[in-house]
Amino acid sequence: MNYLTLIMAIPLLGAALIAMLPQSKSLLAKQFALVTTLIAAVATIFMTTKFERSNTALQFVESYDWIKAFGIKYAVGVDGIALVLILMTALLTPIVVLAGWNESEGGRWSTKTFYILILVLQTMSFGVFAATDVFLFYVFFEAMLVPVYFLIGGYGSGERSAAAVKFLLYSLFGGLLMLASIIALYVLSGEQGGHTFDIAALSQLEMSSTTQNMLFLGFFIAFAIKAPLFPFHTWLPDAAKSATPGTSVLLLGVLDKVGTFGMIRYCLTLFPEASKTFTPVIITLSVISILYGAFLAIGAKDIKRLIAYTSISHFGFITLGIFAMTTQAQSGATLYMFNHGFSTAALFLVAGWMISRRGSSTIADFGGLQRVTPVMAWSFFIAGMSSLALPGLSSFVSEFLVLVGTFTRYPVAAVIATFGIVLAALYILIPVQRALHGPTEPGNENLKDLNLREKIAIAPVIAVIVVLGFYPAPALNIINPAAAQVVSQMGFTDPLPTHGGK
Amino acid sequence: MLVNNGLVYLIALPLFGSALLLLAGRRADRWGHLFATAMSAMSFVLGAVQFYEMLGRDAENRAVTQKLFTWISVGSFNVDAGLLLDQLSICFVLLITGVGTLIHIYSIAYMDHDKDRRRFFAYLNLFIAAMLLLVMGDSYLNLYVGWEGVGLASYLLIGFWNQKPAYATASKKAFIANRVGDMGLSFAIMIAFATMGTVSFIGVQEAAEGSSQGALTAIGLMLLLAATGKSAQFPLQAWLGDAMAGPTPVSALIHAATMVTAGVYLITRSNFIFDAAPTAQLLVVIVGAITLLFGAIIGTAKDDIKKALAASTMSQIGYMVLATGLGPVGYAFAIMHLLTHGFFKAGMFLGAGSVMHGTGDEVNMRKFGGIRHFMPVTFATFGLGYLAILGVPPFAGFYSKDKIIETAFYSGGIKGILIGSIALFGAALTAFYMTRVMILTFAGTPRYDINNPPHESSFLMLLPMGILAIGSVTSGFLLARGEALVHWLEPLFHAHEGHGPEILPPVVISLMALTVVIIGASFAWFKYGRGPVADTAPTNVSIFTRIARRDLLQDDFNESVFMRPGQALTRLIVKTDDVVVDGTVRGVAAATLGSGAALRSSQTGFVRSYAALIVIGAIALIAAIWAVTL
Amino acid sequence: MSEFISPTLSYSLLSPILVVFAGAIIGVLIEAFASKSIRPIAQVSVSIGTLVLALVQVWRIRSSSSTTAAMGSVIIDGPGLLLQGSILIISIIAVFLIADTENFAAAPAAIPGSPEERESIARGQQVTEVFPLTLFAVAGMLIFPIASDLITLFVALEVLSLPLYLMAGLSRRRRLLSQESALKYFLLGAFSSAFFLFGAAYLYGYSGSISFAGIRDAVVGGTGNDVFLLIGIAFLSIGLLFKVGAVPFHAWTPDVYQGAPTPVTAFMAAATKVAAFGAMLRIYYTVFANAEWSWRPLITGIAIITMVFGSLVAISQRDVKRMLAYSSIAHAGFLLTGVIALNKAGLDASIYYLFAYGIASVGAFAVVTLVRDSAGEVTDLNRWAGLGKRSPWVATSFATFLLAFAGIPLTSGFIGKFSIFSAAYESGATAVVIAGVLSSAIAAFFYIRVIVLMFFSDPLEDATSVLIPSILTRITVLFSVVVTIFLGVFPSPLLDFISNIAIFIR
Repeated sequence: MNYLTLIMAIPLLGAALIAMLPQSKSLLAKQFALVTTLIAAVATIFMTTKFERSNTALQFVESYDWIKAFGIKYAVGVDGIALVLILMTALLTPIVVLAGWNESEGGRWSTKTFYILILVLQTMSFGVFAATDVFLFYVFFEAMLVPVYFLIGGYGSGERSAAAVKFLLYSLFGGLLMLASIIALYVLSGEQGGHTFDIAALSQLEMSSTTQNMLFLGFFIAFAIKAPLFPFHTWLPDAAKSATPGTSVLLLGVLDKVGTFGMIRYCLTLFPEASKTFTPVIITLSVISILYGAFLAIGAKDIKRLIAYTSISHFGFITLGIFAMTTQAQSGATLYMFNHGFSTAALFLVAGWMISRRGSSTIADFGGLQRVTPVMAWSFFIAGMSSLALPGLSSFVSEFLVLVGTFTRYPVAAVIATFGIVLAALYILIPVQRALHGPTEPGNENLKDLNLREKIAIAPVIAVIVVLGFYPAPALNIINPAAAQVVSQMGFTDPLPTHGGK
Repeated sequence: MLVNNGLVYLIALPLFGSALLLLAGRRADRWGHLFATAMSAMSFVLGAVQFYEMLGRDAENRAVTQKLFTWISVGSFNVDAGLLLDQLSICFVLLITGVGTLIHIYSIAYMDHDKDRRRFFAYLNLFIAAMLLLVMGDSYLNLYVGWEGVGLASYLLIGFWNQKPAYATASKKAFIANRVGDMGLSFAIMIAFATMGTVSFIGVQEAAEGSSQGALTAIGLMLLLAATGKSAQFPLQAWLGDAMAGPTPVSALIHAATMVTAGVYLITRSNFIFDAAPTAQLLVVIVGAITLLFGAIIGTAKDDIKKALAASTMSQIGYMVLATGLGPVGYAFAIMHLLTHGFFKAGMFLGAGSVMHGTGDEVNMRKFGGIRHFMPVTFATFGLGYLAILGVPPFAGFYSKDKIIETAFYSGGIKGILIGSIALFGAALTAFYMTRVMILTFAGTPRYDINNPPHESSFLMLLPMGILAIGSVTSGFLLARGEALVHWLEPLFHAHEGHGPEILPPVVISLMALTVVIIGASFAWFKYGRGPVADTAPTNVSIFTRIARRDLLQDDFNESVFMRPGQALTRLIVKTDDVVVDGTVRGVAAATLGSGAALRSSQTGFVRSYAALIVIGAIALIAAIWAVTL
Repeated sequence: MSEFISPTLSYSLLSPILVVFAGAIIGVLIEAFASKSIRPIAQVSVSIGTLVLALVQVWRIRSSSSTTAAMGSVIIDGPGLLLQGSILIISIIAVFLIADTENFAAAPAAIPGSPEERESIARGQQVTEVFPLTLFAVAGMLIFPIASDLITLFVALEVLSLPLYLMAGLSRRRRLLSQESALKYFLLGAFSSAFFLFGAAYLYGYSGSISFAGIRDAVVGGTGNDVFLLIGIAFLSIGLLFKVGAVPFHAWTPDVYQGAPTPVTAFMAAATKVAAFGAMLRIYYTVFANAEWSWRPLITGIAIITMVFGSLVAISQRDVKRMLAYSSIAHAGFLLTGVIALNKAGLDASIYYLFAYGIASVGAFAVVTLVRDSAGEVTDLNRWAGLGKRSPWVATSFATFLLAFAGIPLTSGFIGKFSIFSAAYESGATAVVIAGVLSSAIAAFFYIRVIVLMFFSDPLEDATSVLIPSILTRITVLFSVVVTIFLGVFPSPLLDFISNIAIFIR
């Protein structure tokens, strides 16, 4: 069996096994889930080693007829971009399982169900990145909502069901717009030699610029909601606030990447002309998101909402990088997706531990944690530093690549976006000061520091953040060819140095 | 260029020390400080060895490099993790590791009572590593890493006692101000890459010739912005005063001797940019001139000994920046002053720390007085530093500062005279406020409970102070003798082209300088030296004094121009997001529900109305058909 | 005096219909003569046996086609047979529900609350005429989509309608509501039939023929007075649109769906739609095809109004049966896009959609029959709160159907929506596709609201209990779930099967 199908099958298998366990055996369910996700992670890493970096074509390709009548195939394959995202998913999930060991307790349903949902979600996340058939992609794209919806609504806190519904409706709306575009593509392909959903084939379609613009919007809005980009972002803070930390990690770390990934894989590939047409608008929106999200984060009173807002700012950077159309920005954007997964994971997991210990997610309720729970405080601090893109940590590399790559083509946008790094310092250091520094506020005196499980969970995340900060080559070597491919397919070449230089 | 694969260890050792101490946690409490000191000392030794080897080689190939690995490589954007140790960086390496090690030793005693001493030493090592990377990186991007690294270390050390909210705020303020500067650095790098296609020092230097005036000026201005942030120059100077919240050794090392001089390094390192961008260079001079007065004026009004010294630092760095703005002739003198200043200012800070140590962490000079009797060694070392900063021959400052004043005068035309006089006036002010510090602290009658008098500090603290004092005495002479430093640095800068007309002979300028210093000092003596000093700051003072005490309203300005508007903007955006953006979403949902409920009312439950509906439908249908087919 | 021409009938091709009629008559006889004790079981087995037999017959003649099966008054062809098959399958699982006679009035003839009624209940007697009625209706439905002249079409319409009118009134509980709905249904049905006849008359006047072929020739030839044709089309459409419950001829749907016994509602909602749309497809695709310039804009308009209206109003419903009624209105709108498409893809899609939707809605109503309290079925949505906690499986299956209605991928509903919309888009009906997509978004809102209610909100005090489903009901629900999921994941077999044989012959 093909690698991709294999790694998609592993979590599904695990879910099936867990489903067979008796309700009472919740610990066993957890262990099963952990083992499954670890196996999946190992398999994915192994797959990554088998990936030929230099080869820009899709790899691990596999294709079977699924619904012949509509020319729908089960077709999977990855390039560097998809691969790193799959790798990210595979690495994050076991961490989430381990970190959120007791997250399922507060839920409406059994621990079993929780892990079944997590594993099903993982399969679908793999699928959504691996799919090379637009219809298959759409199916994963939509079907993925269901487990997340139940994870938020069933195991979250506070206004969880409201948040879950808001998330679902928002996404469904976007999805339906995309469906309209997909239908149009399907029909067009039918008119131009045989119904198909194969991306490569669809990218060859002839269409009038108006059609292309309309269809592009159908896809783009769906992705802009997922990503999320201003002004389609308001579902995220609510969802992130209500979801369990682990779910939030998967939500912001993995699911939202589907949006930005989709922009690369679908918007750019299928509608190059329309992409160019809308680039100014999108760049503007991205820059707005960067600053707007940052300001919201600065103003946030709730730590989970704060993290969500920072992500809006970060997704602004990613989108900016995608549409700046230089190799640096493009590679930077993908690397950013990968890094953001980990820095957000670190932030959310540690924040989650802080919240569960303190019993409140209001920043003002914390204070002086650095002296009560040093390890926890440090983990949060490092996560924060990576979120504000401190040089030496992974996110700096990606953020700087995006900025420098954007600058060569859109200096103004890059300059405005750079102000984000000052705002980032604010939105990280304010909570750091409130929660970790200052006198130990009442209610924090005897919080417990991280236990061994939690340390084991957070360690690899921080390791990735630091290592890739100093030595990003392993990731970049996978990403670069694919990113360069995207840029050249769009008919762009990097701007040359304006004068002299070498 | 020569390759030397040993360079990395200079950075690796302290970095390892820092990591080990942080990871080991409490386990390392007993030996942590010693280990860190050892790391710092070893990298000083390595530095010294490098320096020795460098002396052995002739001018052209003194610089050595090391490429560790390719750090970032995307398309044409290639940055190596590479190190460069040349005549310029070696000066800093020795200063950083040398003074750094002394301050490690000093801190062993100074921080003895603090249960978090290990963490303090971890931070110190982290700083040493970052600062070394800053001065040894071979490209602007590597420098950037060190640049923000020292920013982080500074943040951590200023906020070392962050359980005090004020201190936590101070550390945050420093980080933010620095980030604003860092923004300038990243702009500079972006412009460099966009226009020259490279960000390495050598690459940019080569490309600089072919580059347009505009690009070079832009890069220059952005580098200057970066420098103002890190070196607490106008307009980003406001953070330095608050940074004194950090333990005194930190103030000595980071906020006097090394980190705050990074801006000077950056400008000097980028000489090929500034030499080709007169506009930027002029602005450098202006910034330097403003800051040296700005700092000096604040210095005259401060009662907090550390804040007074901080203001003085700001002012002295103003001198250095001014010098770097004076073109090729200036760089060497800037560096010279930087080095001498490193000695005497660090020495004085350690002295201040020793005084605080002896008086139970008192910083208000109005609570001191006559301390020389109780702390003779501290008095002696501090006094030597004092003479050095005043520029009294033959102490260090005399060589370095006079050279700067001289070069300022010689820079030609009205400009020369103007900045020359400013520098001179600054010297007078310096003499005034430093004398004030001396008198208030060491002279006069005690203004504290005489029954528990200050006690002299331990040997571990006095030793570094002593060594630095020696430095403050001799360094100037050593560096200036036969223009040693100038020649040493020459190969880096464009050929030592002669400066402007010597409007006055050097001797005259030195005499002028000496005179104003004496005037300033004696003025201070008249004001404070004769009668007893009030142990609380007099309130019936002129508006100027009040403004000076309020740091020339720098915080008031920042708060009213940036902070409060920023907060307002944040509140506005938060509200907008809720009311407008999310409001729209909620509105659409509500509208949908509403229309549903409205339409629902058509469902009356009466057959007659249903039938009527059908009839209406039928009529509509016919009508429509008509419309369609006509 | 002209001699009598004996009609030639191809019995094999008509066998499904004949079988069902026969079963119905047997049912009547049982009701009349069999002893009370065996009646229910006998009725159930007869009805199910009949339907299964009919289904087998349909399968056996699946690939045959003829215009002369009954002297040209019916056409046996792929679409017809597929629709007949769907109707029969749906009817079978619907009968499984009906078999739970607990839902039906003991003595429907008796006046509600009258002594007779009380007495009959006391004696525990239970009339079972609902079974033969069902079979008659099914027979009518089987003819409706294959009728090939206006008279047969009308007769079929009445044969399927009249029993439904009665069945709507058979509810055991809330008798008055039930009878009211029956009456409404009857009156409005009669009213619309009148329009239908009126339209038929005009078409005859236009073409001088009552056979579809004749009318089509007239349309193609373009001879005759267009005014007659247009009025004819308009009024005939009204009759059909009434049956499928398209706006503005939908008004009866919510009341009747709510009033009728839930099993009957299930049967109506599913089977009637299939039959009615079957007829519609045949008429518009074959008879009026060449006059599409006249009717397509109208149907487009009606389709859009219907789907939007249905979705919007469904949001504000508090009663699960009414909610499903409005959702069925919305789906009528979606199905109309299949009619508008007017191409092979549209035909295939419609047939697939009809089957998928029919199964899912029978399943949904089957679940409704299970949620009860002491006073019988609970249809107040608020009291469904927390169902997921008390009986996860029932709630989960209901959620499955709702997701299918909402057209979430991996359910039959999604494939249906996709295929029917793409067909419509192919034929250039972009507007209707946009409207369809948007109203699907609205529709998602209330389907999800129910899911939230079942899973995310805590049960109220006056808890509803979930009946332990009878084995037959269980089969129905299970079957519907399986089909719904299977058709969502592996739709190919059915799709291919349909597209291979679904060709209208003329």
